[in-house]
Amino acid sequence: MPLEAEEVSALRFQWRLSRALVVPVSLVVAAVARLYFKYRLDPDIDRIRAEIWAKLDAHDGPVIWAANHLTLIDSFLVYWAVFPTSRLIEDRRIPWSTPEYTNYYKLGGPMQSALIRGLLYLCRCIPFLRGGEDAASESWRQKAFDKCAWVLSEGGAVFVYPEAGRSRSGWLEPKRPKDFLGKLALEVPSSKFLCVYLRSERQIATTACPPMGDTLRVVADLIPGVLPGETNPRDISQRLFDRLAELQQEWWKGSSMARNCAGNDVVDLKGGLLRENFSDDLTEADQEWMERHLTKREVAYLAEQGPANLFRTFWRFFCAKEACHKALGRAVIVVPNGAFHEIEIDLFRRKATHIPTGLQLDIRFTDDDEDKLHCVAVLRGGFIGDEDAEGDILWSVGEVPAGTSPGAFVRDLALDMIASANEDIGTASRLALTENSGLPGVLWRGEPQDWSLSLSHSGRFAAASFMIS
Amino acid sequence: MAFMRKQAVVEALDINTITPDDAEKRITAGVKKYATNEANFAAADANTPYLGHIVGMGIESSNLADITMSIERQFLTKMTTKVPLSEGSAEFKLTAGELGKLRILDGQDALAATPGLSVKMLMDLGHMNKNDAYLEGVMSFAYVMACGDGWKMADALKKMAGKAEKLAGSERAEALANLKTLIAQAKDYDGLLADASKLAASKSKAYQNDKGGFDALNSELGLTLDKIKGVSAGGDAAALAKLRGEEAEIRTRLKMSAAKLRVSQEISEAAGKRRAIEDKKVAEVRAALSAAVSSAEKLS
Repeated sequence: MPLEAEEVSALRFQWRLSRALVVPVSLVVAAVARLYFKYRLDPDIDRIRAEIWAKLDAHDGPVIWAANHLTLIDSFLVYWAVFPTSRLIEDRRIPWSTPEYTNYYKLGGPMQSALIRGLLYLCRCIPFLRGGEDAASESWRQKAFDKCAWVLSEGGAVFVYPEAGRSRSGWLEPKRPKDFLGKLALEVPSSKFLCVYLRSERQIATTACPPMGDTLRVVADLIPGVLPGETNPRDISQRLFDRLAELQQEWWKGSSMARNCAGNDVVDLKGGLLRENFSDDLTEADQEWMERHLTKREVAYLAEQGPANLFRTFWRFFCAKEACHKALGRAVIVVPNGAFHEIEIDLFRRKATHIPTGLQLDIRFTDDDEDKLHCVAVLRGGFIGDEDAEGDILWSVGEVPAGTSPGAFVRDLALDMIASANEDIGTASRLALTENSGLPGVLWRGEPQDWSLSLSHSGRFAAASFMIS
Repeated sequence: MAFMRKQAVVEALDINTITPDDAEKRITAGVKKYATNEANFAAADANTPYLGHIVGMGIESSNLADITMSIERQFLTKMTTKVPLSEGSAEFKLTAGELGKLRILDGQDALAATPGLSVKMLMDLGHMNKNDAYLEGVMSFAYVMACGDGWKMADALKKMAGKAEKLAGSERAEALANLKTLIAQAKDYDGLLADASKLAASKSKAYQNDKGGFDALNSELGLTLDKIKGVSAGGDAAALAKLRGEEAEIRTRLKMSAAKLRVSQEISEAAGKRRAIEDKKVAEVRAALSAAVSSAEKLS
């Protein structure tokens, strides 16, 4: 839908004003990042910028900036990292941003709010409204889309987060692409995507800003907007997400944090001690004991399931919490033993939330029968899988032979599973288990592997899982 | 006062009428049914972890709440008066009052990983008088964890050496390469255990993460309060209600984050302090690591 003449005129005026003040505004952005937040850029930033700008210089058309999103100041940080002061005269390259209206446009009292709005105006912002399904919200989104398309058609650049919001797991998931950028590229086919993965070294979860004083590392690439024959926005978005995911992998190769963070847990539903706090027919339970494990929301969900499902549903909650506890441990987020309320499970949406950090995990029950439950949880590093697509996590559940130590059995089970999943390994004897900060790890060819091995046993059953991403 | 719990009948007694050693014995006896490692349970003392199979009692995490509730069932206390944490708050703390059921509130048992630490928890919460002589023999939570990791590492090394010994050809060569890495890791960990300041530095990573998380949440709260201020002026009641909900949610998260931070701070600080009991336990695990390394080095 074309913009009205007044809207175009307003955008042109904003562009002119912003152009006139671009140097002081950019210097303020850099000074605040450097002096107030004390952020440092990648020591290799000059080389990275040179590579990006060589590609940008070779492309005369419009550019859609697409970056991962973890903090509320990402747009400023990406701009600071990618755009050197020496290039500020290249007006067309300076991106327009699309900040969420509810996050930025009504902050603080009238003075503060006016100041922020003024800054955002000069930073070429087109306010976006991501929430709301009503006609007004839809119309707002369409208008914002049209403005972005207009900027691109004028040969400019726009900055849009392809995930449409901050990632609650701290991980960009390529299997869940959003169509917005695909549509935008189809609208202006001469555009290219500037894919950027920027993250501070200690950024674990979604926050307002990266930890003060942290170093920001960035990887970037310029890729085609629309390839010949591409007509479906989803295909374009998928290609964009796939490239961002590759950049994400590249970023993590240089990180000291573990990339793969997954966990598992198995529960033997016939275990005598599991029934201790339930009535003989398993339709009632000791309320106080139950509330020590479950949050209020979980208790409410449990009540909705009815007495017949009480026992199984309770242990599904428990099993998922334990799997999440292990996945979080990989990210050095220690959930104290017994702090069951720190993790809230949504069995319906198959999501878990670590309440203190707000991190979201995916959960999946791979075994859910009369005898046992087995749950896997993934924080980051790969896709958990669903009915439509296989995930990046493999698991094995087995019955512990009588007279065998469950601990020894689950270790052998894990190594056999890993060996059988990789032709290069072939046999479990080529692998070894190690322990690091209480978490199991795998050695292959003498090297520790970032496979996020997780082990669990309960009563008659043992289970292991690991990630292959 | 007696509580009926399936077949078990527990007679609760005033915790201040018994010694810390007696309390510890009752606590240990109370978890017997959950212990899956009978040998370790039979030899359990104040510093035997409830969890874990190598040196622990082998209690499974599904019974963690049962441990706490078992302690609650066994003792009576005078700390029974509920006092709101702040005016109008639904949260409360317990202060001195009439003798009644002992209550361990959410999060208070986070560090109670052994019977001795359970007794320390009861002292810290004011249910029992503090007894320094008893606490001298109770290993800190930080060292329960650090020693536990050492035992696991020694066990992994021993098992790997046992496996490698039976292999031949290229499989043996690869197993020996893995063994070499395990030996190096065990030696590194031994070095960490030998130096309390190094151990404290390693434990501070989790604390720094938690501190970062706590600071980030405070920023989020500040931002939400700014949003509330901004929306209040416009009179949009629905938006304001949504933001108030967000604020309440962040405050809940902050409360949990603060509790978590206290735990990791305590661990980080305690890792740097070593008393005779920690020295003794560290020496035991270092000996086990050293024996495992020596025997593995003969193969490699």
